[in-house]
Amino acid sequence: MTENRARLKPSAVPGQASAEGDLVVLDGPDGVAVTMTADAADLTADSLHQAASEARKFGPTASDTGAAEDLAPPG
Amino acid sequence: MRHRHNGHIEPTMHTQNVLLNRTAELSPVERDVLERSISEIKVIPAGHILVRQGEEVKVSTLLVEGIMTRHVDTADGHRHLVTVHIPGDFVDLHGYALKRLDHDVGALTEVRVALFPHAAIERIQDSNVPLTKRLWFCTLLDAALHRQWIFRLASLTALQRVAHFICESNARSLAIGVSDSRRFAFPLTQADIGEVCSLSNVHVNRVLRQLREARICEVRSGHVEIFDLPRLVSTGLFKPDYLYLNRLTARRSAGEDWSSDD
Repeated sequence: MTENRARLKPSAVPGQASAEGDLVVLDGPDGVAVTMTADAADLTADSLHQAASEARKFGPTASDTGAAEDLAPPG
Repeated sequence: MRHRHNGHIEPTMHTQNVLLNRTAELSPVERDVLERSISEIKVIPAGHILVRQGEEVKVSTLLVEGIMTRHVDTADGHRHLVTVHIPGDFVDLHGYALKRLDHDVGALTEVRVALFPHAAIERIQDSNVPLTKRLWFCTLLDAALHRQWIFRLASLTALQRVAHFICESNARSLAIGVSDSRRFAFPLTQADIGEVCSLSNVHVNRVLRQLREARICEVRSGHVEIFDLPRLVSTGLFKPDYLYLNRLTARRSAGEDWSSDD
């Protein structure tokens, strides 16, 4: 059960983006598999950077401390 | 085509692939009963929708030749494949109990189908408990495939999804004798594979290239060529248990005892 729940934890493994012709393919983490235009990829990257900065205000990365699964949902 | 039955050569039965090489096979007598329940054989062109979502159904359809799909059309006009059927599959046996489908059934290639009136299935249900259990097994196999479909989309990477789907297609083809685990017909386009695996054409193209360059398998001209089944199986995290194949077919589909020299 613990092993199964591990997949529900926030991923500490980054996704891997790469160019495929004029498009950007994002693989992972886990089951993420999307193809975006270059513009959409840029905007997604900006959005991720901004969200990561906000998340770091809460201190050490939750997944590093193992506490992520205990975090209450935002709201 | 003809097949051997109790030492006699008989005309090929339309039901010959039903539950072939599964853990629950049809006995010759059960197959005869099923065969006699067919009311009509139809040939349907590629792209034709045989049953539309929501329509009342009074017959169930067995796929005899070709490839069919179950798909759901979304409000924004997209088609979403939810099942791919090969010969021996009942494409809408659940319609016998449900009386309408929550999805379309379409012909991906030209197909030959056998129609079973629900009244005939009801007669089987009333008089033949073992065969009724076999038909129930068919719909349970459907459910198992759907569960695995969810797992594939939810948990696997793009490469794993495509490898898993090719393994599954090989295993099902093995069961009906149209694959030797090295080559089998696979008349799906990259767009079709994308719909199955929820990937863009570009993504599918790249994954197929990765599989080809790693000398694992190649999808080309309506066929799959498998160069290394054990690696394809491990890449796709494929375990054939959910297909309820007989022991030998399950072992072959998992790449056990596989040799590239055979």
